[in-house]
Parts: sequence; structure tokens; C-alpha cells
Amino acid sequence: MARIRMSRRVLMLSAAVFAALPAMAQDITLTFANWATAEATTRDGMEQVIARFEEANPGIRIDSQAIAFPEIGRQMVLRIRSGNPPDVAQIAGNDTFLLAASGGLQALDDYAGETLATLKPGSYAPFQTEKGLVAMPWNQAPAGFWFSRDILKGAGLDPDNPPATIEDLNAAMAKVKEAYPDIIVLGMDTTNRAFSLQSNWPWMRAFGALPIGEGATGADTPEMKAYLGWMRMLAQEGYIDPGRKIGEFRPLIAQGQVAFLWDQVLVQGVIQNASGIDDATFNAQFGVAPMPAGALGSGYSFEGGHQLVMFDKSAQKDAAWKFINYLATDEAAAKLYTVDTNRSIPPAASFADPELAASLDTPVIEAFSTSIIPTITPEPFGPDFATAATAIMAGVQEAVTSDRPIDDIAADIQSQLDR
Amino acid sequence: MRPGAAKKAHLSRPMRGRAPLLDGMVVPTLIVLALIIGYPVVSTLMLSVQQYDLINDAAPSYVGMRNFSDIASDQIFWTAVKNTLIYTFGTVFVAAFLGAAMALMLENLNGPFGNAARAIVVSPWAVPFVVVAFLFRFIYMQKGGVLNAVLMHLGIIEAPIPWLNDSDLALPAIIVANIWTTTPFFFLLVASSLSGIPDAVLESARVDRAGTWATLYHIKLPYMRNPLVIGSLLMIIANFNDFAKVWVMTQGGPGFSTTTLVVYVYRMAFENFRLGYASALGVIWLILLLVTAALYFRLLRGRD
Amino acid sequence: MTDAGRQGFRHRQSAGRRIGRGLQFAGLGFALLWTLAPLYWMVATSLKTELEATQLDPTLFPHSITLQNYTGLAGGSLPFMQFFVNSVLTCLVAAIVAVVIAIPAAYALSRAKFRAASQVGYLILIVRMFPMVVLLAPLYLILLTTGLLDTHFGLIVGYTTFGLPFAVWMIKGFIDAVPIEIEEAARVDGYPRWQILLRIVVPLIYPGLITTGIFVLMEAWNNLIYPLTFITTLDKQTLPAALQLTFTGQFKTDWGGMMAASVVTTLPLMIAFFTVQRSMVRGLTAGSVTGT
Repeated sequence: MARIRMSRRVLMLSAAVFAALPAMAQDITLTFANWATAEATTRDGMEQVIARFEEANPGIRIDSQAIAFPEIGRQMVLRIRSGNPPDVAQIAGNDTFLLAASGGLQALDDYAGETLATLKPGSYAPFQTEKGLVAMPWNQAPAGFWFSRDILKGAGLDPDNPPATIEDLNAAMAKVKEAYPDIIVLGMDTTNRAFSLQSNWPWMRAFGALPIGEGATGADTPEMKAYLGWMRMLAQEGYIDPGRKIGEFRPLIAQGQVAFLWDQVLVQGVIQNASGIDDATFNAQFGVAPMPAGALGSGYSFEGGHQLVMFDKSAQKDAAWKFINYLATDEAAAKLYTVDTNRSIPPAASFADPELAASLDTPVIEAFSTSIIPTITPEPFGPDFATAATAIMAGVQEAVTSDRPIDDIAADIQSQLDR
Repeated sequence: MRPGAAKKAHLSRPMRGRAPLLDGMVVPTLIVLALIIGYPVVSTLMLSVQQYDLINDAAPSYVGMRNFSDIASDQIFWTAVKNTLIYTFGTVFVAAFLGAAMALMLENLNGPFGNAARAIVVSPWAVPFVVVAFLFRFIYMQKGGVLNAVLMHLGIIEAPIPWLNDSDLALPAIIVANIWTTTPFFFLLVASSLSGIPDAVLESARVDRAGTWATLYHIKLPYMRNPLVIGSLLMIIANFNDFAKVWVMTQGGPGFSTTTLVVYVYRMAFENFRLGYASALGVIWLILLLVTAALYFRLLRGRD
Repeated sequence: MTDAGRQGFRHRQSAGRRIGRGLQFAGLGFALLWTLAPLYWMVATSLKTELEATQLDPTLFPHSITLQNYTGLAGGSLPFMQFFVNSVLTCLVAAIVAVVIAIPAAYALSRAKFRAASQVGYLILIVRMFPMVVLLAPLYLILLTTGLLDTHFGLIVGYTTFGLPFAVWMIKGFIDAVPIEIEEAARVDGYPRWQILLRIVVPLIYPGLITTGIFVLMEAWNNLIYPLTFITTLDKQTLPAALQLTFTGQFKTDWGGMMAASVVTTLPLMIAFFTVQRSMVRGLTAGSVTGT
């Protein structure tokens, strides 16, 4: 036994020596877990940005690990627990806060200090938690209320003024349904995923419901029931097509088969890709507005952008920060990836490159910046969000797909949340 | 297993008494199984009496039977058990019936048409589950799904039916997709057991002028019985474990109406990261399967 | 039934029999439609353009047949050929490993008639019942500590967990069908058991081994959870998992491309399956058919 242990030590020692010799002269390798290289739409753009970074930083090599979007949160938690996290990861939504709660992230305050001053405050504020700045905003992709001008016109509605309140929306949907009985009047994601709660949360808030999170009033409230009742009405009137993922509405709106769509800023790119229309035609056919106002007198939005996180196990944090900072704030990277590939908004407050500034000076970005982003409401993210999402979205699905009394459904959600 | 039955088999063969675990030929398999299954099973048993949440840094702590008592009062768990039983047995019984019916229909059909028909009806079994799931999700879509489109064009229905988005329809709809992939298995099973019936037996039935149904009942059914019992057991095991179809088609929704045990355990372990609770669910699951298997073996032995 | 036999009975067909015939063909028509319709839809959709594939009023026949979904797979930015190779490689190796390890155990269980043999046989089948989902976390930890996470070898180990018990069960069934008398001569000559197994039994059950191997291969090919969990980088991913991962991304669901990928995922399995379909089922249920 002793002999085996000895020889193993010798082996390890010699391995370490051999590994160290060339390593002294060699590059640092950063592992970067992301889904940008796991999807056909973004893979090329992401790889180009990585290549440029490596070119600009000869000492650093990026080992890009493509992990699918729905898998990345789970993978990262497992890898934190098992002690082999990557150096840097792309992350979004509740997963960011899940990782922060799991204690495997490096707070970025010391690294990001000066950089933050150059960003829009709203872009990073949600990530300043009691554990410090847990994530760096990479891009912003808030949701807006998209509408098809052609369909509004055809239904006898004003193509430039979409409904401003939920009541107006109800009336408008009735008119659209009458004029176009076969299209999807309102596209919204009602699947049972954590993302669906994130996406539907602003609607719940518009009805005054606050089932979980800070100052929660629970699910068994008149406000929540009003929301569930409205959702049921949408289904019964045939306005929504339940069970579709948000990505399944996008090719449809491109074909003029969806009148209103609750979706993120990036949908413009998907529509233009699918139908091949240019910017001017797009703006003539589609518009985006804030969510119609509900009982509280306002509509809301959610931030669906992506963040970058550094893991506290990383052995090369300075290089990791260099990479994060490059992706989030370098203007060439922002243009190539964030704007042109991912079709979202960089977090920077202003841009030196006039071309980049111009490419962000569009009616859509304008609408987002002035009237939609200010309505972003915080999401009740945290370790319990996924469980709550399962309970709440199951209730929403029940309201939409069955005729059980809304009171019972609300009570059921609450009892699930209490568990 | 009744000792008597084992003994009978034992005596009918040459005696080569060796203790099973000492048999050198079984050892390699047992070692591999112990490593890749034994260890995970044992650690699942141990985890089932612990609270171990991957999401916080706390070490696993012993909680006794608490996970199990929590499960007893867990409404969704019981829904999941119910759904799993409906899903599994609904699929297996209907698929067995359809498969047997198809085999009987094709039994006497020779020539190129018969061969082509046989090749066609078995083909769904070769379609990977993920593909089946995506394909049927696409077919079932409320708007834009081909099933509703065809039914509406034929005038059978007036408005699109939300196949996967109705609490009462979703589970049956998934079961139908599952039956589609499972039927060929039973078809092959029954077809091969039918071809195993000696010609002389069928001939004598014909001489006795036994009718089609009488021949089926008295002659063919006994030959089909055991393969069907074993085959259904295999399919019950497979369907208890079936993840891809439900996950891709509904993620367990709407509500919890299609949440099966495997979906529930997956959510517990890999969305909520409650490994202790998920392991306790797994232990109960194993017990359920063992009971089913024991009943089945009894059914098999009952014939002797 | 022989053709001559049927001929002899034809004249006795009554009106009732003819109705039965009609019912039989109606049933057959239904069976064929039921089987073919979904497959047709998969192929038809894969030949449509992206917009036609997603439109709300689906077209029963593609308006303009395009191969763009297939060329997109081959020439797109995602390495679909690599996924395909990954799947073939891992599933094939898992099948071979499972069969090779299973042969001696299956032989011992079939031939050495110790009292507990059948119990061990059933035990191995029961092992197969344990929910894969629950085994995931411990297996993940094993692979991690041995450095096999995110390797094809680790995935093969995972596939073996369900492939091996099944292979033992099936091969035992095939060996049961080999009369023990065939071995007697060799035994009298004093050949050791290993030799008897390799020289006499294995050649006899060779088709059964192929069948078993293809069964394990199909099960592995079908498996979704293991590659999703054990493979963390996309370039090492298997075809079914990549299908699930890359077509339901953050941007859109591309039904045409997905159906094209589905066709490509299905074809190898279908070919493998048709080579062995008959003996496969016989192997699965051999234990009961031969009456042991």
C-alpha cells in the first residue's frame, strides 16, 4: 500500500513538473460556459468575438463550453457543488440569483468599480445584492408589448396607438378576433417553466397581484384571482394559444399571424431574419409599446437580458475579469455580438463609436429606452423561485385550460407555496 | 418466487451445484453492476433519510423519516403516482391490444403486400423518443397543428381542440403518442408467438371446424399469453422510466395533469435541487415497481 | 399455414367470413394510416420552408419542396455531423461492452443450476427498474471524482447501467434455447467452461448477440437524460440530446429544421432495427417462450 502511495506521489510530482514547465511560457486558458455557441443564431457571432478577444489578449485563450440555454443553471449548480465550475459563465433570469445563493460566485465590486460608472444604472442595479455585485450585465433585453400595425388597421383600430389600458386591450382583442378569427390575437408564453413566471410576472403585477417575493400578499387574493380570471377569459375567447413557448410565436408574427405579442426586444431580429424585411418595412409593419396599464394604473416589464458571472473557484480572476469586461463593454464586441447577433441592448450609457450609436438609434430601441425600461419591475428571484414558478404557472395553466373555480385554483397555488 | 417452482426447475436439469455469488463467470458482471448501480442505489437509500439541498452550502443532515412523511402529505406526489399508473398501464394495455390485433390481422397475409404492411407497422418502434415527442407536440398544436387542421377540414370538429393544453385531454394525448411507439413491440411479440404455433395444432382446429373466434380463444391465446405477460412487464418498466415524451410535450402541465413520477423527481432533484426528498421519492418508486414485478412473476408462475 | 392448406379451405368461406375479411382489411387500412400519418408529417415538414412549416393553417403537402433544412444541418454553424458521430460511437461501444460483459454471466445463470439462479436472473432485471433519474446524481458524482464527466467514456458507463442488466437477461434467454446436450461431448472431453462457452455456445447464439447489441444500442440512442446530464459541452453531445437542446433555444423553434434533424436521427435506428427486428423480440421474451 505504502509503495503504491509512494509511486503515485512520484507520478503526481513528475506530472506537476511536466505540466509546469511548458505552462510557464504558455497561455492562460479560461473556461467560458455559455449558450451563445450552442445556438445556430448566435454561434458564429460569439465565436468571432472570442477570436477577437484572443487576438487582442495574446496571453489568454478562451475554452468555450457550449451548454444549452435551459440546462445552464442546473449545470452550473452541479459544477459549483462538485468543485469544477468554469471561470466565466453566461447566465440569465433566475439562474443568476440561484448561483448567487449557492455561494459559488465571485463578487465583482472590486473589479467593476470604475466600469459601472459608464453603464446605465438600471442595467446593473438588480445584481447588487447583499453579497455584492454578483453579475455583470452583458446585454439588456426587456419585454415590450409588440403589435402588428397591419392587423390593427384591418380590425379598424389605430395602427399607431396600441391599447393603453387592459380594458382597451380587451376591446381591441375582441375587434381583432372579429376581423381575423383564425390568427393568434395575443401571444404569451404559458408553459410551465421558470421563464414563464418571469415573463408573466409583469402581467400579475399589472393586476396588483404579488404572490411571492418582498411584501408578498400571496396567491389567494382578489388581485391574483382577477389576473387568473382575465387569463381564463383570454383562453375562452380564443385570444391566446396556450402551451406555446415564446419562441414558437416569433415565426408566426413574422407571417402576420399574431396581432399582439408580449416579447423581448430581440424579437425584431428574429422577425427580420424569418421574413427578410428591412428596417424601414419592419417599422412600418410593427411597433412596440409599454404593457397596457392595469388596476394599479401602470403596466410593467421584465428584464430578460443576459449576464456574465465569475466563479470564486477561478484561479485566474484578473484574466476572467478582462474577458467579462471585454464582452460587456468593448464597443466592437457590443456591435458584433450584442447588437448585430443577439439583437439586444448593450448596458453602456453612451458610445464613442458613432456607427454603434446610430445602430441603436431606432424607433424600437427608442421606445424601449424612454417608455418601457422605466416600467421594469423587480422579479422575486432567488432559490425558491423555480418551486414557486412551478406552483404558480401550474395554477395559471389550470385557469387557462380547465373550468375549475378560480377561487379553488388560487387557494391551491397558495397551499403549494406554503409547503 | 415460490421455492417449489425453483426446485422443479432445479431438478429437471443436470446438477452442477455452485453457489451463485461464487461462480466466477457471474463475478465480472456483478462487479460492474455493483459499481455503476449498486453504489448509486445505496447512496440513494442513504440520501433518502437526509436533507440535502444542493443549493445552499449546508452539509447533508440526517432527518430520519421526515422526507417520507412529507411525501405522504404531498398532494402532487399522489397526483404523480396516479398519472404514472394511468400513463403506464393505459399505454401498455392499449398497445398490447392494438399490437395483438394487428398481428392477428396480418397473420395470414403473405406476399409483397403483407411484407410491406408488416414492415410499416413496426417502423414507429425505431423512432427515437425525443423525435416522437417533438413530432406529436407539433401535430397536436392547437393552432397550426395538423391534427386539428385535418379534423376541421373534414368537418368533424368546429373549433380547434387544445389537445395538450386541456387538463383532461393532455395525459390521454401523450398516451396516444406513446401507444404509437409501443404498439410495434407488441405486434412483433404476438406475431412471433403466433408463428411459433405448430401447424398441426391449427390443422386439427380446422378439422374440428372451430370458428375463427374459438380458434383464437382456445388455440392462439394460450400461445400469446406468456410473451404478452413478459412483454408487458418490460414495457411497464420502460414506461415508468419514460421521461422524454412528457418532458418535451408538456413539462408535466397543464397544471400537474401530466406530471408523472419521473418528471416530479427530475424537478425536485434538478430544478429545486432537493436531493434528499428526490431520493426518498426514488425509494418509494422502487418499492412500487418491485410490487408490480412481484405480481407479474406470480402471474407467470401461476401457469405451471 | 401453408398456401395449399388455405386453398383447400377457400370454398368453405361463408358470407360471415367475407365480412370478416372486409373487417380485416378495414382494420389494416386503419393500422397503416395510424402508423404512416405521423411519419409522413415528419418527412413532409422537413421538406418545407421555414415559414411554410410554421404557418397557422398547415399545408398537407409541401408547396415547394426544399432541401434547405437538410443542407442547413450539414452546413450550419452547429456540428450536426459531430453529434451524429458522437451518438454512433458511444452507443456502439456501449452495446459491445454490455454484450461482452454479459455473456459469461448469462451463461452461468443459464447453465449452472444453483438454486438461486433464477432469483439472480430476476434480480438483474429488477435492477433495470430502478429509476434512471434517481441514479443520476450519484452517477454524476462518480463520474466527477473519476474525471470522466463530460467524456464519451463516462457516457458509455452511464449507458451500461441499463444496457448490462438487459443484455444479461436477453442473452440468458438465447442460451436457454441451446440444448445442453450439445455441450456434453466437450464436457466429457474435459474442456473448461470458458472454452465451452467461447467455442460452442457463442457461435450458436451469434445472431442473438447481435440482436442484444442492437437492442442496447437502440436504448442508448433513445436515452435523453444521461447525455443531458453527463455531457456538458455541446460538441460532445449526442444527436437526440442536441436535437432537444439546439432547436428549442432562446430565439425560436424551427419546426422544419427540427423535423429534418428528426429524420436524420431516426434513420440509423430504423436501419439497425430492421436488420434484427424478429429475433430481437424473441430474445426479449425467450425466457417465457421456451418455458423456463
